[in-house]
Amino acid sequence: MIGPGRVRLARGEGPWPWLAAGSVALSLLLLVGLLTLLAVRGMGHFWPSPLTLVTLEDGRQLAGQAVREERLPDSAGRERLYLTANRDLEGDIWTWVAVAEIAEESRPRDLVVLERTRWGSFQGRLLALESDEGRVEGEAAWAALETRLETLATLRAERDRLRDEVVMPLVRRLERDSGAEAELAHANARIRELQARISGGMLLLESVDGRRIEQPLEQVLRAWRPNAMSPPQKLAAWASGVWRFLSEGPRAANTAGGVWPAIFGTVLMVLLMSVVVTPFGVLAAIYLNEVAHQGRLTRLVRIAVRNLAGVPSIVYGVFGLGVFVYGIGGSLDEWFFTDQLPSPTFGTGGLLWASLTLALLTLPVVIVATEEGLARVPDHQREGALALGATRVEMLTRVVLPMTAPAMLTGVILAVARAAGEVAPLMLVGVAKLAPQVPVDGEFPFLHLERKFMHLGYHIYDVAFHGGDVEAALPLVYATALLLVLVILVLNLTAIFLRHHLRARHGALPRR
Amino acid sequence: MIDPLPPRVEPRHQWRRRLRDRLATLLITAGGVGVVVAVLAIGIFLALEVAPLFLDAGSGVGWRELWQPRWQPGTLPGESPLYGLQPLAWGTLKAAFWALLFAVPLALGAAIHSALYMPPRLRSRLKPTLELMEAMPGVVVGFVAGLVLAPWVERHLAGALALVAVLPAGMLLAGLAWTRLPAAWRHRLPQGWAGLWLMPWLALLVATALWLSPWLERLLFGGDLRGWLEAHLGLGYASRNALIVGLAMGFAVIPGIYALAEDALSGVPASLGEGAQALGATRWQSLWKVVLPAAAPGVFSAVMIGAGRAMGETMIVLMASGNTALMTLSPLEGMRSMAATIAIELPEAVPGGVHYRLLFLAALTLFVFTFLVNTLAEVVRARLRHRYRRLGGMA
Repeated sequence: MIGPGRVRLARGEGPWPWLAAGSVALSLLLLVGLLTLLAVRGMGHFWPSPLTLVTLEDGRQLAGQAVREERLPDSAGRERLYLTANRDLEGDIWTWVAVAEIAEESRPRDLVVLERTRWGSFQGRLLALESDEGRVEGEAAWAALETRLETLATLRAERDRLRDEVVMPLVRRLERDSGAEAELAHANARIRELQARISGGMLLLESVDGRRIEQPLEQVLRAWRPNAMSPPQKLAAWASGVWRFLSEGPRAANTAGGVWPAIFGTVLMVLLMSVVVTPFGVLAAIYLNEVAHQGRLTRLVRIAVRNLAGVPSIVYGVFGLGVFVYGIGGSLDEWFFTDQLPSPTFGTGGLLWASLTLALLTLPVVIVATEEGLARVPDHQREGALALGATRVEMLTRVVLPMTAPAMLTGVILAVARAAGEVAPLMLVGVAKLAPQVPVDGEFPFLHLERKFMHLGYHIYDVAFHGGDVEAALPLVYATALLLVLVILVLNLTAIFLRHHLRARHGALPRR
Repeated sequence: MIDPLPPRVEPRHQWRRRLRDRLATLLITAGGVGVVVAVLAIGIFLALEVAPLFLDAGSGVGWRELWQPRWQPGTLPGESPLYGLQPLAWGTLKAAFWALLFAVPLALGAAIHSALYMPPRLRSRLKPTLELMEAMPGVVVGFVAGLVLAPWVERHLAGALALVAVLPAGMLLAGLAWTRLPAAWRHRLPQGWAGLWLMPWLALLVATALWLSPWLERLLFGGDLRGWLEAHLGLGYASRNALIVGLAMGFAVIPGIYALAEDALSGVPASLGEGAQALGATRWQSLWKVVLPAAAPGVFSAVMIGAGRAMGETMIVLMASGNTALMTLSPLEGMRSMAATIAIELPEAVPGGVHYRLLFLAALTLFVFTFLVNTLAEVVRARLRHRYRRLGGMA
């Protein structure tokens, strides 16, 4: 019996409900943890981190950024992993150091980091710069290097522009007919001249342990002295790093450089997909909700369509491969591209098939969302329109569909968000590790539906699991993952906001 | 006086309107039926592609071959390929099992808390947040699991296992402490908001457990838990194993299970729970004796849909499982699932060959399984809604 005066409120429940409360907290913690990890590691990659000069007990020196620390096996000590770069000198870019052996750590301002096209980056000291104008040493060499790198960047941009916009179209024109040889020769001469101005110049570098190398200036992309940079300078370097990541193509087998082709491929594929999925999804929803007889069969079909949203995406990929690529694509090749067989044109994975497969995959999403919107429109609106003499199509286009527009938009946005993150089916129907040509260019028919394309999600998978040195590529994968997650989060938040707005306007969905 | 007649619509115009209506309706019908048929054709197409495997006597693949314990579609010369689907089916089930083991308690706990204890405003915020969790692309979750979590757990296995015990204990401890708090404090930390204010506490617990675990490991297992497991229990350790897959895929299925279970629980007519509480039951008692039994089919269907999702998830298993076709029970070893096998091997398989058709068979299996599970869940949910309406109407 409960004694008088004892509060029998929540106390009687015991601590068990707290397991339930804790699982909410734990789920949220997991989500927050994942997002924080991606944000910190993804954004941190572009921050010019300071370079530490480590002197060991035995007098050896190394310059690097500390990555992580671990307990040594079989002893109480710890060891630390440094990113020391200089693959051409050391053969490896990582160095493990026992923490107990470190005698001194400092951050001298004269340490430089060079980003190079070969051998990865260099960390050490700049001794001298030799060029046609002579040899400069010491602090003057740094100033000379900075100006020289700026000139090099403009020259490279000019050369690449010429190659992409003048030479390549001319070469392709020459494959079909002649007549542009003179133009091509002129352009090529100009490129050779630029190339000559780019090459030349030599850097004399010294690693902190005293080994010297001569570095052709041509291979140096950027140089910075992380320990001498002020915070605003670092911020500027960070912003330009982010911009290069978003705007440049990948280098060094996708382990360095940017992800622009992957962004482009993802967006293009998703756009094509939504062009296909929107009309068909809306059409099917209108049919199911407004035209079809609302009997047992329609109800079954509705359940089936809903269930297709739960079918694994890889199954859609298998379907796409069998029907689109080998079936339709193979026949198209036999009918229209016989001259190019046996190398397939449409009979292999490509942009078109990937978009169609994803359209099929996201069709249920659009149908369900649109149907929900249609069900929210009160019946008296329809009856009113019909009573005033409108035909069914007029009722639909003038009254019902305008009220459903936000729901359709929600459906399409959700479909886009789902498609942008889906990788498994793409692996079967047309994504490429490295696409040599973007699917859109200045050549007729401008949009090349048969070409393979790069995709952000697949880029993550490929770099993370097929690269050589995963640890070195990891920051880039983090950045790509962050980008993908941001895009998808923004899309989903828009959809959630739209739906909320919709519910506030039309009230809750009548249950049927 | 008779009102003037409304202006007459031209008959020609009328006729055109009607024709347009007919045509458009026809178009909608054709489009709608076409889309529905196209979408439903997936299963039929897969079945057609698989059929020759069993109809052709010469394909050399019968049920006996498919039920071997080896999957080796080796292309090496002089080596005959082995097409036993058993290890793949095993890998799929094993991955799904560990994912559900992790996800179901968390998702149901979260659903219970948010349906019964949370203020409605907070609940309407929590749902979209967990939807965001579902929207996380599998490739990102798989990357974090395979390249960040797997090496980390390999180095801190003791800490990771300690969390399994520490976290629930910490939650219970928080509950006990809360009931001992003075009323003013309890008012400031309401139970309905516990999902939020427990987060720092759990984070602190995680940090403490990880900080203490090396010391515990030295004390209990001689400083090397992996070696100890190998020596005493005979458990080999693979860096990418079922635990990692379970954790990562659990993360991906929690939101789905949560959303459906929460729907089922909060759909139970309020009068039932209120009646139980009026008779003196606590909320927790009314949950176990009244609300949960009423919502059981809905909760069951939520778990089924979660299982379907876990079976078909490709990227996470592909990236976090190591993809070795093993048939072990050990949670510390890897596996190879059907979905991952399809993703890896189908692009290289020769169209029309035995290997190709077998991968189609795997896809068909996944399709049929998820479709049946989802249909079952949908039917159960429809029945449940009907029952709720009846129960609500009676009260």
